[in-house]
Amino acid sequence: MGITLSAGETLQLVNINTDTIIFTLINTLIIFLIYRFFLHKPVMKILDERKEKIAGEMKAAEDAQAEAEAMKQEYSDKLKESREEAAQIVSAAVKRAGERENQILAEAQQEAAELKKKAEESIELEKKKAINEIKDQISDIVIMASEKVCEKEISKSDNEALINKFIAEVGNE
Amino acid sequence: MTESMILMAEEAAERTFTIDGPLKSITFEFLGKEWVVAESVVTQWLVMVILAVVFFILGRNLKLKPEGRRQVIAEWIVGFFTGYVETSMGQKYKRGYGPYIGALFCFIILSCLMGLFGLRNPTSDVSVTASWGIITFVLVLYTKIKTGGFKGYMKSFIEPMPFMLPFNIIGDFANPIAQALRLFGNNVSGMVIGGLVYFALGSFAILVPAVLSLYFDLFSAVIQSYIFVTLTMSYVAMADMEE
Repeated sequence: MGITLSAGETLQLVNINTDTIIFTLINTLIIFLIYRFFLHKPVMKILDERKEKIAGEMKAAEDAQAEAEAMKQEYSDKLKESREEAAQIVSAAVKRAGERENQILAEAQQEAAELKKKAEESIELEKKKAINEIKDQISDIVIMASEKVCEKEISKSDNEALINKFIAEVGNE
Repeated sequence: MTESMILMAEEAAERTFTIDGPLKSITFEFLGKEWVVAESVVTQWLVMVILAVVFFILGRNLKLKPEGRRQVIAEWIVGFFTGYVETSMGQKYKRGYGPYIGALFCFIILSCLMGLFGLRNPTSDVSVTASWGIITFVLVLYTKIKTGGFKGYMKSFIEPMPFMLPFNIIGDFANPIAQALRLFGNNVSGMVIGGLVYFALGSFAILVPAVLSLYFDLFSAVIQSYIFVTLTMSYVAMADMEE
């Protein structure tokens, strides 16, 4: 399209040419397709892949952190539990030891009491025995002595009455 | 007037001012029709070859872990356009319109940059910008029918008031036309002004045309490309009847 501004020529600056329009439309379509398939699509693909990868990595990191948190919680729970358990064991042992102590003490006391009772009984028995022996011996001695002193036979019944009276007096003193 | 001045004027009239670039248009026959490949289309092919090579190199062999500047640039370009589409049109258009907006922006900007190399800037051909306006029109129509149904699309013409019908019909056509003409007008005016200045300065054409070219072909081109794709996005987003 020769555009000349010489005198007498018409200005062809603004003329619509259908051929040019058709070619321009085709050219624009081709440029659009080239841009779309050679530049836009590969770049968008890479951007999307990167986005996905980053999102995946971030999610993995978050998951790992959550897992670590959970494990930490678990460990601290376990630690707390085992501490409680240890304390329980110690307190149980202390309690049991205290019980055992009390039991031993009670047993010992009981045993001591039994021994004391037995000893007292045997002492009492021995005392009675001794008293009876002494009574017999004294009565024999008195009989012998009175026989010797009086040289005379007192009837046995009289004698025993006398002796019993004496012993009762001795026992009362 | 002195004689010398008249001579100079005659001399100037004999010189022709042309804004044609070094590339020539091609004519060929196909399907029983004679097709004219305008110079702006030939320049587009050059732009396409450059863009295809650049896109192919940038998008090749990308790694999950970025290696080198090439991938960073590729990711930046795609990320910029999808992000821009997302902020101006919303999440649901991100995937579909990201490539179109990116491709269109690169196409327009590189077309404008062709002016820096003395080639004919394709965006200074109204047929080229009209093509992109047609695409916008079709996209708006498609979005309206897709989101509102055919009934909703028809109803949208009498909203908010029935008397708005003619304005709504005009609006549907006016938006893409205005969009196409804005890009065309800015670039063609830059080209004509640059050409005229170059022509007027004659053999003194140093520095001034370069500065003008920098402004019109680089600064204005970037802004106009940006405005063009932004308008495309906002027209389509406005056509969405679900929001």
